[in-house]
This record gives sequence, structure tokens and C-alpha cells, in this order.
Amino acid sequence: MLMLKIAARNLFRNTRRSVTTLSTVAIGAAAILVFGAYITYIQYGVQTNAVQRTGHLQVFRNGYFALGTAAPGTWGIDQYATVLRLIRQDPTLQSLAAVVTPIQSLAGIAGNFENNTSKTFFGVGFVPSERDRMKQWNEYGTGSQGLKRSGLKDDDLAEGITGIGLVRILGLCERLHLDDCPATPPGASEPAEATSGDASPTLINVEELASRDKSDGEPPTPTAGATIDLLAATAGGAPNVVTLRIAKVELQPLKELDDNYVGMNIGLAQNLIYGRSEHKATGIVVQLHRTEDLGVARARLASLFKEHALDLEVRDFTDLNPQYNQIIDLFASIFSFITATISIVVLFTVTNAMSMSVIERTGEIGTTRAMGIRRGGIRKQFLVEGSLLGAIGASVGVMLAQVVAYAVNHSPITWTPPGAGAPIPLRLYMNGAYALIAFTWIGLLVVSALAALIPANRAARMQVVDALRHV
Amino acid sequence: MTNLSNHSVVALADVVKTYKVGDVPVPALKGITFSIPRQRFTVIVGPSGSGKTTLLNLIGCIDKPTTGQLTVAGQDVATLSDNAISDFRAQRVGFIFQNFSLIPVFSAYENVEYPLLLLGVEAGERRRRTTRMLKAVGLADRGAQRPNQLSGGQKQRVAIARALVKDPDFVLADEPTANLDSETGAAIIQLMRRMQEEYATTFVFSTHDRQLMSHADETFTIRDGLLVEHVSGARPC
Repeated sequence: MLMLKIAARNLFRNTRRSVTTLSTVAIGAAAILVFGAYITYIQYGVQTNAVQRTGHLQVFRNGYFALGTAAPGTWGIDQYATVLRLIRQDPTLQSLAAVVTPIQSLAGIAGNFENNTSKTFFGVGFVPSERDRMKQWNEYGTGSQGLKRSGLKDDDLAEGITGIGLVRILGLCERLHLDDCPATPPGASEPAEATSGDASPTLINVEELASRDKSDGEPPTPTAGATIDLLAATAGGAPNVVTLRIAKVELQPLKELDDNYVGMNIGLAQNLIYGRSEHKATGIVVQLHRTEDLGVARARLASLFKEHALDLEVRDFTDLNPQYNQIIDLFASIFSFITATISIVVLFTVTNAMSMSVIERTGEIGTTRAMGIRRGGIRKQFLVEGSLLGAIGASVGVMLAQVVAYAVNHSPITWTPPGAGAPIPLRLYMNGAYALIAFTWIGLLVVSALAALIPANRAARMQVVDALRHV
Repeated sequence: MTNLSNHSVVALADVVKTYKVGDVPVPALKGITFSIPRQRFTVIVGPSGSGKTTLLNLIGCIDKPTTGQLTVAGQDVATLSDNAISDFRAQRVGFIFQNFSLIPVFSAYENVEYPLLLLGVEAGERRRRTTRMLKAVGLADRGAQRPNQLSGGQKQRVAIARALVKDPDFVLADEPTANLDSETGAAIIQLMRRMQEEYATTFVFSTHDRQLMSHADETFTIRDGLLVEHVSGARPC
């Protein structure tokens, strides 16, 4: 306590120097905290985006994730309705899960025959109302991302969603009255002169297959508004075609996805992949109320499948969204770099301030040593002073960061996080960031103490006689 | 010359102190033998560069002799470790410096209290002794003031109180009146003399001040690193 009192008084013997040093530590602390809070916000934002799209966990037939994505039809979960019921009725999972819903992945060719265009697509079939519920997940309050409602109905198999890129490529911009979606120039989608004699085999096949599909006695799909035809191989390998009415166009976060995405009612996807045979599902999505329950839920699913001898695997959202970990790692490395840089600046600033203090107080060191203070006492005194500089500076920095966070959180600044389709308000997650605050505060305290170590040792090693002689 | 005796607070036997300036050895003390009796007002005099301050540093245990034996308060200090010798100083030796050397961030009261804090004296006892000592040096009403708010004489009074508050075996004072005007210097000498008698302690000075020399019970004269004269005053040892 005595040392702390002496240290506190000594700090303000040279007010200008102490204020400069404290400002450096405080600004450093604030910078670390603000950037840390920003990263926390990004992490939550990216996680929210991922969980809204893919849920926390997905259940697949064992091996699908590594080997089966090219042929989802052949890797479907048998009697998925039973598995779905098993998960939904499990008491543990019931309390943890917000949504448990099946999905069907598929890939094929999408065609707009009015415009003589076709394009490969990859899509997903889902239960629209359950997908809408998934989009409401917002554990961290990062705000809305993308479109909240699909606009599809559970009992209407004909409607679907596409990416803007896909409708642009298929020449449907004008028909759908889309802004920022250029219409196809006249003749651009016409076959070239040299190949006009033998038209695109894909288009011919699609047209033929479409007419074959209709001639099989299936009722024609209502096509009010823009429609596209989707061709895909069934689980048995035969080609199949369905018509999809575009109910909504959603910008997807990646161009590749935007140019290829088709979302539809799971019933339509199953019709396309399985035809009249048993309908399966590629996966079962489990979205939890809270991300922290992921480990418990995953373990429970694994034991449930083991109990019922089901050959299924469970993947979490980081497996399903590899960019998630990449983004987090990228920001973590930037954070580490910034923290290291600030620590070095603080280290040199505090070392400089303490060295000056030792030189100025050489006579005083001699006096106190003559009065009986041990070398260790002198060392401790300067270490306490350095640590106090760090503690006060870091405390001011924490307050400064809170002010900055408040200002940013009440400003209209927006940004588009990686993986999101629409801008969201920029926020700094400072409230509750106790670990970050503790890390920064203790870290700068330790750096300041280390910075004081060299001057403190120099002070402790002084010969009493030499120190007393110092003018 | 005075022989070593049981009544001595300090005893030196053939003490040599040589400094090195670069690679050149510079002798400061060339073999001094004498002892300082207890409860006396002892003055060490000599011209500049004679070795007075070196001798005082050795007696105060803030430096060690190159050769020879130094016994302070019955302890052969050459054998003590750095920590042990620090503790020894904290308990047994009081210092009064020419430039006062008060701790600037402490008040007068805190400066006097500080040696007791180092000794771990309990708070109530600390308060009692500090207050009594400030009163004894006539600064009872100045305890809250910082050194920069005190005059030179007042600072030296605080330094005297600080040196005596822990009840040391002896007090060392290196030219304590050198930075004071003659009137203040005289007052300080009177005060030290009174305190020495009142607290029955030993004072050892180095000085050029004739006023101070005139108060001495014992006077040791040093020249060129050697003891050349010892005059014992009228007061009985």
C-alpha cells in the first residue's frame, strides 16, 4: 500500500511526461478494445448469417459430406421422416432446438426456353415456413441480414427463389422488372450463325424432355409470371424436368452462388430427384436457440443415432461454411498484429518514461538505499510505478473505448459483412465483452511492468555512494 | 590515536580504501585505525579530498573498505550481505545529508515516519514517535507540508528528526550546515547538540564549519587519507 502511494505520487512529479505516457497506454488500450469489439461483432454477424442459412448442425447419411455432394439423390437419408421425428421428439434436443427441418440438395440445368438460354444450377429444397423461421435467428442481435421471408408457401410446390445472377443469365430481368439487372442484348442469346444449323444439344434435350414430361400426363405447372425449367438426373440416373415459377429473386452473397442458386419447396426438389419413388432428404437441419448448446446437441444426436443404429453423420455450421473459420482466423491474425504493435509501442513508451524517472531520482535512490531499503525494494518500487502507469492508462482506455462504442452504436453507419447479401448497421460489441476487457487490461499492465523492469533493475543495481554523489 | 574499546560505536583497524579511476588505483584512505566513542559529538575534519566523506561512507556502511577491519555497533560489516547490510543501516544508522535529501513526494510528517515504516513499526507507535520527534525539532505544526514548502533550516530539522526517529546507534552527518546560512547553521548545531544529549545518541560529522568544530567532544583530523590528529574535548567519554 505504501509503495502504491509512493508510486502514485511519483507518477505526477513530471505531469507532462506521465500524461503523455498514460495517453499512449490509454489510446493503445482503446484501439485494442474497439478493434476487438468490432471483431466480436463480425464473428457474431458471420455466425448469424451462417446459422440462418444452414442451421447449427446438419445430419447427413454417413459419407455424404465427403463423397456424396455430386450425387445428392443417391445419398439421401432413408425414411428421413422417422429420423426427423426421432430428433424432434427427443427431450434433450427438443429444449435446445429452435428448428428441425429437412433439406434436399440438387444440381442440374435451368432453362428459359422463351429466350433460348440455359444454365447449370445448384439448388436446395426446403420447407418454406421452417426456412422462414430459421431466418429469424438472431441470438446476438446483429440485425437483419438479407430477406427474412422466402415468400413461398408450404403447400405450393410450383414456386421458387433464384439468385439475381441466374435470372440475368437466363434473360428474365425485363420480365421480372428487376432494378440493376440488365436485359439481355437482342441476339446475344441466339445461336451463332456457324452453329445455327445444329442448335445447342442441351436446349434441344431440355425442350424434348420438357414436352415428354408434359406428355406423360402430369398436370402442367402454373406459369403466371416468369418460369424456368429445371432438368436434373433422378436418383436412378434418368433425366427429369420440372417447371418453377420464380416467386422471388434474392441477391446471394457470392457471385458464383448468385449465378447458380435456385431455392424451392422441398416437395418440388424431391419430385425432381426421386420422381415417383420413395422421397428422401439430403440432410436434416438443426438450428439451436443458442450456439453455446452446439456441443451438447451434437453429442446427443450422435448418441441418438448410435442407439437406433442409424448410419448418419453430423456436421456443424463451421464445416458447412468453411469461410466462417477463414474469416474468423483472418480477423484474429489482424487483431494479434495490432495488439502486438500496440504492445511494443506501450513497452517502449513506458520504458522511456521509467528510465527518465530513474535518472531524475538517482539521488533519491541513494538516500532511500542509505536509509535501509534493499535493492529489491527499489526494484519493486519502479515496477509498481510502471504497473500503475499501465493500470491507469488501461483503465482510461477502457472508458475511452466505451465512449467510442457508444458513439458508433448510435450512428447510422452500415456495412456488408462477408457472406451477407445486404448491408447491416455497424456495431461494436463492447457490452459484456468482459474477457476482451480483462485481456486488454491485464495485458497492458503486464507489458507496462515488463517495460519498467530494465529501468527498475538499473535503479536497483546502483551503488549507494554513486547514487548519493549524483547531482 | 584511540584504541578499539567496548565503549566504541565504530572501530576501524588499518582500513584502506582505494578507488579505481579507469585502470588507475586512487587511494582515498591509506590505513586508518581509530574508534568513535558512544554518546559523543564527534567531528571529522580535514581539507577537501582528504578522505572525510570516504570515511563517513565506510562508517555509515554504504561502502566497504578495500582492506582492514571495520566494526560498526559491534558488527563486522565487511562480512554482511547486501540485504543484511541494508537492514543493518535501517535499524542502526541515521543519516543527515548536506543537501537534506528529503523525499519530495512525502510531507514532513511522512519523511520522518518513513524509517519506521521500513522497520515495520506498528501504526500507533509510529504516529506517537513521529509526532514527538517533529515536536522535538520544532516542526509540530509543519507536518503536512512538503519539502518544497519548507526553508533550508526547516528541511534540515526534518532530516534530523528522520535520522533520530528510529533511535539509531549513531547518526552520521555529512557537512550538515554547508547549505545553510550561518545563523540557521548555528541553530541547527544547537538543535543537534540538544538532541544528542536528550536522546543520548552518538553524532558523527564531517565538516569545515568552525562553529560545529567548537561543539565537538571528539575531533579527528584526516589529511591525505591518514588520521593525523585526535583531540578529545572537555566532555567526559
